[in-house]
Amino acid sequence: MSQNSRGASIVLNPSGALIIDRASAFKSDLAEALGKSKKITVDLSLVEELDLACLQILYAARRAAAASGGELHLTGTISSRIAKRLSAVGILRGTPGRAEDFEASLLEF
Amino acid sequence: MIDKFKAAFKEEAHELLSQLEDTLLELESHPRNGELINAAFRAIHTIKGSSAMFGFESISRFTHEVESALDQCRNGNLPITKDFIGLTLKARDHLKEMLGQEEPPPQATLEEGESLLVRYREFMAGGKTQAAPEGPGSAASAPSGEAAAVPTSREVQSPAPGQAEPAAQTPQAGQAGEPTDRSSTYRITFKPKPDILKDGTRVLNLVEEIAGLGQAAIYAHTEDIPGLEALDPEACYMYWDIIITTSKTENDIRDVFIFVEDRCELKIERISGETLDEEGRAKRLGAILVERGLVSRADLRDALGSQRKLGEVLVEKKIVSRPEIESALVEQEHLKKVQEKLDSSGASIRVASEKLDSLVDLVGELVTLQARLSQTSLDLKDAALSSICEQFERLISQLRDNTMSIRMLPIGSTFNKFRRVVRDLSIELGKEAELTTEGAETELDKTVIEKLGDPLVHIIRNSLDHGIEKPEERERVGKPRCGKIMLSARHSGAYVLIQVSDDGKGLDRDAIYTKAVERGVISPGQEMSEQDLFLLIFAPGFSTAKAITSVSGRGVGMDVVKREIDSLGGVVSLASERGKGLTVTLKIPLTLAIIEGLLVRTGGDYFVVPLSTVDGCIEIGREALEEYGERRIINYRDDLVPFVSLRSTFEVPGDPPEIEQIVIANLQDSRMGFVVDQVVGNYQTVIKPLGRMFRGVQGLSGATILGDGTVALILDVNALALAVQMDGGRKAARGSGR
Repeated sequence: MSQNSRGASIVLNPSGALIIDRASAFKSDLAEALGKSKKITVDLSLVEELDLACLQILYAARRAAAASGGELHLTGTISSRIAKRLSAVGILRGTPGRAEDFEASLLEF
Repeated sequence: MIDKFKAAFKEEAHELLSQLEDTLLELESHPRNGELINAAFRAIHTIKGSSAMFGFESISRFTHEVESALDQCRNGNLPITKDFIGLTLKARDHLKEMLGQEEPPPQATLEEGESLLVRYREFMAGGKTQAAPEGPGSAASAPSGEAAAVPTSREVQSPAPGQAEPAAQTPQAGQAGEPTDRSSTYRITFKPKPDILKDGTRVLNLVEEIAGLGQAAIYAHTEDIPGLEALDPEACYMYWDIIITTSKTENDIRDVFIFVEDRCELKIERISGETLDEEGRAKRLGAILVERGLVSRADLRDALGSQRKLGEVLVEKKIVSRPEIESALVEQEHLKKVQEKLDSSGASIRVASEKLDSLVDLVGELVTLQARLSQTSLDLKDAALSSICEQFERLISQLRDNTMSIRMLPIGSTFNKFRRVVRDLSIELGKEAELTTEGAETELDKTVIEKLGDPLVHIIRNSLDHGIEKPEERERVGKPRCGKIMLSARHSGAYVLIQVSDDGKGLDRDAIYTKAVERGVISPGQEMSEQDLFLLIFAPGFSTAKAITSVSGRGVGMDVVKREIDSLGGVVSLASERGKGLTVTLKIPLTLAIIEGLLVRTGGDYFVVPLSTVDGCIEIGREALEEYGERRIINYRDDLVPFVSLRSTFEVPGDPPEIEQIVIANLQDSRMGFVVDQVVGNYQTVIKPLGRMFRGVQGLSGATILGDGTVALILDVNALALAVQMDGGRKAARGSGR
């Protein structure tokens, strides 16, 4: 996973299948980023698959960021497969393509 | 074949657009009502899907963007403003126009569509920044309690084959389909144990599979997900409430979970058969919470007693959590949808209105033929034949009543479009007005309803333009700024009374009088009852408006009202108090197709007087008739009743018999006699329209075919009386001018 620092904020660019096999690593990446900056952005453009384990990590990171007075945002174009999938299981409202909408449509995110 | 589907699509789309219009207007007054936002979204969503399916690509493209905007509203990202409603109403009109055109639409239409979309994009761009502090997760999206709020999860439904957007669907979906009477609704709580993910179980697949079994509403609980530090990356924290309506059995559902049974908490309850409460309404939130075991009845009673939204109270008291309320709201919404589907599919069928029209025509022919049969049997004097004839007559009259009742529609369908008229016109005129309606469920013949549209639009426009004052003027005279127009309908015998009342400035008696004298309709100084004077506003070209606006003042419009109502066999009356307002009452017969009539003859011509207007018949000899002389007024039941001779009015050739008959007819609030040669008797009259050449003839509303094949003209007694009076008025005016 690559990381870019833009000023004080950190952008994470995970790619490929974000699934349980990579869950621990994904958690550490996020924890590390949260330790460094109050503003984290996760660009989901290159993510081809997102399973429950990694989705939960995004939720957890968002909550952790909020608890410490920071922010975590999602960005990029979301694969329509992921959006449809999450929508079908009641986690996402609608099937938005843009990440900003995706973030807004995630239930209780 | 495809054309047939296209026609069906258009029909459905028109219906959805008219629903959308109602919804938007309603939404304008209740912009926070999530249910209405959802309804608007659904209408556009359905049009988008089916238009793409039938190759109406420009419609599909257009609706796609409108849908996105509505979706933003649904999610609370875009505020619902008056401008937004206005824009969406325009988009709705644009769609209606596109439906009437071939694909691809002309360039002008496409450009118009594009300009609307540009405005939508501006809205969406502006809305985001405005609504940012109210984003999800903040206090603004707190549960709204007893009333159904915007459901927070997506309603997942099996797609129709070929549906344009098979999004959010599961691979298994497609066979379980729509809810039917045989479907049951289950409430499934699926709570995987934390370690379920570790052996590779794909929890989301299971949920998807369940959703594919029928129409499902799913709520995913995320509240157990901890902060990052405490999180075990391979543990499962989420759980689901799934409400599903399906024809599958409970065992079929359990089968989906068969391999994870020991690694989850699974609760499946059947909730079918109780989707509605005792009063037939969708189940209340409170009832659902009690059923779920989240709230005790005592707590519910306490919370309901506080007069606040139930959800808020319960969350505040920490009796239930917010997600639990949200999940219950999803269930409530789902049950409501299922019920709506059942309501619309079970009890009625959809039939093309042409088929009904042709059925009525056929019944009309039967009634005519039966009249001939009765006549023949009377002539033949055969006992067996007369007995059959009588039975036949009874059956036909039942058949007639039944057929007529099929054509009855609630008048509310036309009421709705007037709300749009009032909204648009008051903006145009810089006035404030609201329309309230009453008796929308009143039923009337379909043809009558269709013909009522234009006259009512004219009356309402007239009320808004001439009646309701500008807001400042209203304030000056101590009225509320916003004017009221009330549209109501109710049954009264064989008639329906439709009233349009406003609280505007009312009719100006003197202005009407001056204008009438100016136009030579009445002679100066002529005495006239207030009602007759008011009715003059319906004369062609008669307007007292000082300025001509684009809306009214040209004197066309109100005469259209009179003409249309006359052609319906109806009566218009006016009541007005200066400064207080105007009430226009339309008295309309329930049906236009077949009426009871009184058949009369003058010379060789037959006429039918609608029986509902006939007060009585009197015989009069030649001598007596001459005695009444020029004045032509007869004493009838202690009332002086004017009369005219049909022979002279319609210039029927031949000499009158020694003894003639006068048919006394009830007019609006007076009576009038019509002298005829003979009263033949009661006659079931199938109304046929007059040919184009004769439509303008005053005093006739149609024709009918008699048993022996001759044609009888149907009299419109009100129009006839007015024509005679106007004729007399003009003569008098000319006389005084000499």
